[in-house]
Amino acid sequence: MRLTHLSLTNFRNFGRLDLPVGAGVTLVHGANAQGKTNLLEAIYYLATTRSPYTNQDDQLINWDAGYEGAQVVVGRLVAHVDTADGTRHLELRLIRELKGHKTTFRREALVDRRKVRLLDLLGNLRVVLFVPTDLDLVTGSPASRRRYLDITLCQRNRHYCRTLSQYNKILEQRNALLRQMAEQGTRNNQDVLDLYTQRLVEAAGQIFAIRARLIDTLARDVQRIHYEQLTAGNESLRLLYRPRLAGSDVDETESADWLYNHVDNPTIIAERMQTALADTLSYDIRRGATSIGPHRDDWVFQVNGRSLRHYGSRGQQRSAVLALKLGEIAGIKADTGASPILLLDDVMAELDGTRRQHLITALQQMPQAMITSAETTIFPPDFLAQTEQLAVDGGRVHSVI
Amino acid sequence: MSNVLPKPVLRLINEFGRLPGIGPKTASRLTFYLLRGNDAGLAADLSAALAELSENTQYCTACHNITEQNPCEVCSDTERDQQVICVVEEPLDVVAIERSRMFGGVYHVLHGALSPVEGIGPDDLKIGELIGRVQQGDFREVILATNATLEGDTTASYLQMRLADTAVRVTRLARGLPVGGDIEYTDEVTLGRALEGRRELK
Ligand SMILES: Nc1ncnc2c1ncn2[C@@H]1O[C@H](COP(=O)(O)OP(=O)(O)OP(=O)(O)O)[C@@H](O)[C@H]1O
Ligand SMILES: [Mg+2]
Ligand SMILES: [Zn+2]
Repeated sequence: MRLTHLSLTNFRNFGRLDLPVGAGVTLVHGANAQGKTNLLEAIYYLATTRSPYTNQDDQLINWDAGYEGAQVVVGRLVAHVDTADGTRHLELRLIRELKGHKTTFRREALVDRRKVRLLDLLGNLRVVLFVPTDLDLVTGSPASRRRYLDITLCQRNRHYCRTLSQYNKILEQRNALLRQMAEQGTRNNQDVLDLYTQRLVEAAGQIFAIRARLIDTLARDVQRIHYEQLTAGNESLRLLYRPRLAGSDVDETESADWLYNHVDNPTIIAERMQTALADTLSYDIRRGATSIGPHRDDWVFQVNGRSLRHYGSRGQQRSAVLALKLGEIAGIKADTGASPILLLDDVMAELDGTRRQHLITALQQMPQAMITSAETTIFPPDFLAQTEQLAVDGGRVHSVI
Repeated sequence: MSNVLPKPVLRLINEFGRLPGIGPKTASRLTFYLLRGNDAGLAADLSAALAELSENTQYCTACHNITEQNPCEVCSDTERDQQVICVVEEPLDVVAIERSRMFGGVYHVLHGALSPVEGIGPDDLKIGELIGRVQQGDFREVILATNATLEGDTTASYLQMRLADTAVRVTRLARGLPVGGDIEYTDEVTLGRALEGRRELK
C-alpha cells in the first residue's frame, strides 16, 4: 500500500494543493506556521476519518473558503493509493451549509468515486502518526489515552469501530434518560431505562472483549520491541488494560484478570456490567451519567513492575511511547501484510541522540514515511541524501532538488 | 435590503425561511417568483392549498394518520384486513408501505420514536392509544415497522414489552439485504440480521 497522490481543497491553510507523493522517506520542512502539521493531519484524516487535534471537524475547513454569507462551503481531501488490487481513489468531503439561520456540518466519504459510509473508508489507507504530544500519553488524562486507543484500534478492526459508535449512541440516550429521571422521578422511565441498559451492556460486552484482545496483541509487540530494540534487554515494559466493568470498589487489576478469563464470552461480560450498573443506579441518576462501561476504560504502562506514569523518568517515558509507535507499525504489518505509512511530526527535535537513531533506523525500513521538521540540520547527511524533500511555505508545497 | 422592501414581501420571505432546507436566498427567490406572477394563478392556488391544509385535514382517531375524513379511508375500508395492525413512526412510512402493495391491513402511526436525547418518552407518542386499541379490539397480529435505527429498535422493544400480556401475535419487519445489493459489499450487521431473518424454502 502506497500513497501516490494527495490533493486538498480548502483544508486548513491549503486553499488548493496537488501533490504527487514518492515512495520512501519524504522530509517536509519550512518555517513555523506554514502547514507542515496540516499536511500530515490531512493524510491521517483520510486514513482514520479523525483529526488527532480536534473533535470539531468543521474547524478543518479553510477559514477563507467561500465568500461572506456563502450557502455551501466544501473542503475536499483526495488520495490515490496503490494497493495490491490496483489504484484506489479515496475522498472525504467536509460540507458546511447555511440553512436559514443555522449552519450545519456533515461529511461524505467516497471510495473509487462511489459514496460509502465513513466507516468504509477505514482500512484503505493505514497510517501511524507520531507527534510530540504523544509523549503525554503516559502522563495525560484517561480520555486522551482512550481516544488514542480507539483511533488506533479502529484502523485495525472495523467491527470494533462500528460497535463503538453504536455504544456511544446508546450511552448518549441512556445518560439523557438518567438526567430526566433526576428531574421527573423514575416512575415512567424505568422500563425505557431497562431497554437502554440492556442494549448498552450488549454492546459493552463486545467492546470489552475486542479491546482486551487488541490491547493484548498490541502490548506483545510493544513489549518485545522495547525489550529487544530499545533497552537491549535491560528493562521490561508492560502495557496493561484497565477496563471499567465494575464499580470503583473493585480493584482494577482484578477486573482486568476477570475480563481476560472471560474474553470469549461477551454475554457473561455484559451480565457482570449489568449487575454493576444496578448497584450504581441511584448514584448515576444523581450525576446524570453512566459511571461504568468502556467509556471509562484506561490503559497504563509499567516498567519493571512499577507505574511508568508515577515512577518513570522522562527518558523511560519517551522510550515507552517510541515502543508504542513501533508496536503499532508491527501490528498493522502482521494484520494486513503491508506496512502503514509512518507520519512523524516534529518528533526528532524532542528525542535524544540514541532514540533519534532508533527512529531513523525504523524510518529507513519503512516503504513509505513522511517526516516534518523546521530544521534540516538535525538529520545526518547520509539520511538527507536519501530522502526526498518538500518545502512548505504559507500553504504551498514545492519539491526541493 | 430590508427597509426598502414592502412589509408583505418581507413577511413572506421570512415565512419561507422558516421551512426546513430553505435558506434566506431561496426564500427571496421563491417570494419574487410569486410576486412577478409569471405563472398565472400560482400564488392564489398556493394560498388556497395552504388554507385547505389546515382546515380540511385532521388525525384519524383510530390510527392517528393524517386524513380528510375521520375515520380515515384505510380504517373505514371493509376490504382491508381490520385484524392486522402495522405500527409505523410517521405518516410518510404509511405511504411507503402502501407503495409496496404487500400489506392489506390497517396502520397505527406513533408520530415519532423514543429518544430521551430529544426528550421524547412513551407519553409523547401514540403508544397508550395503541395498547388501548389492541386491548379493546379484535386483532390477530401487530407488525412493528419502526425504523432500523437505535430509536426505532428501542421503540419496537418497548412496544413488544407493553404488548407481552395481550393475546395478539407481535412481529417485527425482517431486515435484510438491499435489493440489488452484493453480499460481498454488505456490512456484517446487515448480513447478520439477514441471516437471522432467513426463511424456509422447502
Ligand atoms: N481552518 C484553517 N484555515 C486556515 N488556516 C488554518 C486553519 N487551521 C489552522 N490554520 C493555520 O495553518 C497554519 C499552519 O499550521 P501548521 O500547524 O501546519 O504549521 P507548521 O508548519 O506545522 O508549523 P510548526 O513548525 O510551528 O509546527 C497556522 O498558522 C494556522 O493558523
Ligand atoms: Mg507543526
Ligand atoms: Zn385511520
